[in-house]
Amino acid sequence: MSSLLNVEDLRIQFGPPDDPVKAVDGISFAMNAGETLAVVGESGSGKSVTALALTRLLASPPARYVSGKIEFEGRDVLGLPENQLRQLRGKQIAYIFQEPGSSLNPVFTIGFQIREAIELHRPEVRDVTAEIVSALDRVGIREPEKRLNDYPHQLSGGMQQRVMIAMALACQPKLLVADEPTTALDVTIQKQIMDLLKELKRTSHMSILLITHNFGLVADFADRVVVMFRGHIVEAGATVEVLRNPQHAYTRALIECVPKLGQKQHRLKVIDYAGIE
Amino acid sequence: MNADAPSSREIYSESYTQRIWRHFWSDSFARNGLRTIIALFFIAALAPFLANSHALVRVDDGQVSLPIFQSLEAIEWRFLLYVPLAAVVYFLRGRFVIRPGLSFLGVVAVVAAIEIVLAVTHPVNDPTNDRDRPASFKLMPLIPYAPVESTPDQFAPPSWKHLCGTDSTGRDIAARMLHGARTSLSIGFIAQSIALLVGVSLGGFAGYYRGWFDIGVCRFIEIMDCFPTLLLILAVIGLFPAQNNMFYIMAVIGLTSWTGLARLVRGEFLRLGSQPFPQAARALGAGDFRVITRHLLPNALGPILVSATFGVASAILLESSLSFLGFGMQAPTPSWGDILSDARRYIDFAWWLAFFPGLAILITLVSYNFVGEGLRDAVDPRLKVK
Repeated sequence: MSSLLNVEDLRIQFGPPDDPVKAVDGISFAMNAGETLAVVGESGSGKSVTALALTRLLASPPARYVSGKIEFEGRDVLGLPENQLRQLRGKQIAYIFQEPGSSLNPVFTIGFQIREAIELHRPEVRDVTAEIVSALDRVGIREPEKRLNDYPHQLSGGMQQRVMIAMALACQPKLLVADEPTTALDVTIQKQIMDLLKELKRTSHMSILLITHNFGLVADFADRVVVMFRGHIVEAGATVEVLRNPQHAYTRALIECVPKLGQKQHRLKVIDYAGIE
Repeated sequence: MNADAPSSREIYSESYTQRIWRHFWSDSFARNGLRTIIALFFIAALAPFLANSHALVRVDDGQVSLPIFQSLEAIEWRFLLYVPLAAVVYFLRGRFVIRPGLSFLGVVAVVAAIEIVLAVTHPVNDPTNDRDRPASFKLMPLIPYAPVESTPDQFAPPSWKHLCGTDSTGRDIAARMLHGARTSLSIGFIAQSIALLVGVSLGGFAGYYRGWFDIGVCRFIEIMDCFPTLLLILAVIGLFPAQNNMFYIMAVIGLTSWTGLARLVRGEFLRLGSQPFPQAARALGAGDFRVITRHLLPNALGPILVSATFGVASAILLESSLSFLGFGMQAPTPSWGDILSDARRYIDFAWWLAFFPGLAILITLVSYNFVGEGLRDAVDPRLKVK
């Protein structure tokens, strides 16, 4: 079976070679087309580094790709020249980032920025403006004809993230990497954005790689889940299985960090590292 | 999509340049600053027709002659073609608001600006003049003196005969200023453009790529900054001597005054580069060149433009210091700085020698600053109320 994405023994390091910071230390996972995979882990566990490495977005130096292989549709990403990487980014693998406000260019209208994405990867589109309107329409922005002349600072955080999603989807990517897409948003907006992603996943058949530290988001969104801790994968499996029967102490600790409705607690749980190692 | 959605042609979506231009033009200071600069360039371009000792038209016993046109050099003729063209563009601009066609006319304007530079000729002292020669009919220019022509009136204060007075050798200051505008305006414009080109590209690459290139550029800037600018220019002139060549002066001033800009651009690029949006652009498949030109540069444009307009001012003043020391444009070619430095010896009684060129430099600098600030406000959407 040929998978969409195949990561094998990926190692990424920063800092001096004799005393490196091992951000990602030998991880392997695979994704099939149409699948949704969640990578869960706390800050510094290497999940964002993994996400950026998928299209070699991490500049090297300072990052060093020490070993491992990233295969996207059978092509070795780490060996691709820069111009082919540019064709991969956006067109095949698109990203949504954590802070929508600062991920949009402040001096251009949102319509202009979506236009840039379409012109970069879909030169065959004739009526670009209509395409921009439909992209904004698809992510649930009302009156897209008026909104496309707005600047990022005129929109709310939730709207900005919708624009980022519209930009990512405008090139019809096969894989969408959502790097903590809701971390900078408040809870109700979080719900709206996750519902939107779910809806888009259902209608567009693309795969989604969701990067998060919040097990609460994973439960009804991802097919499979990978738990990362300090650059290693400590547990992987079907979401239902992992949630119901976590094997690793760290996974259990992460799941317990999500507060439960109706449970009386004076303090939220924190991870007890001594019990994990 | 729903059926009653407007077709894409009805959605008014203006381009980046159109928007900048609209906001620039809505600022009255910027608008009038640009008008003043354009007017100054026109005056400079038309200097031979505004101040000349020869008549525009004279008729002797039924024989019509055009003395000024006969004395024009080929380069002035070529330039004359651009004046009506530019005038047509200027007066029609309200009718074709801003269409893609205007970019073509922009190119024409740039070519015309280059021609203004080329049109700077070194006036030759021609003893004949039409002022004193009687004719049955003659039409003299507004200021009937040549910039290099000595009249018997020395140190004449401003009067109807000499609008801005005369200097120690009896040369008409108004005539010298009109011709000097060519030198001063084009040196300010071209020298600063060179500095802008070098400073923005070196500083931009240093701030974007960081690493060894950055270290190299920064050390080079520090070495350049160790020398006082004037001494550096004198050293360059000493190394590569050339006489009275304006392009040479421009290049020397431009290539020695880019360091401040480069440092500014580098700093801006470092600041912007650490924000998420350049990475988001790369994640979308944009290459280095696109990230630099479309994402970083427009965000850094404000401080660059403001700094560049001040740079025009300092280039004009630098040229005058050079003429004063005898390394700039050499007499008899007039420049505002040249008149100004001449004035220093006689400042206690001949105030007009310093006042008029000083006023001209002031007006130019203020106009450039208004344009720079207007552009800065126009490129930053967050500063806007409308």
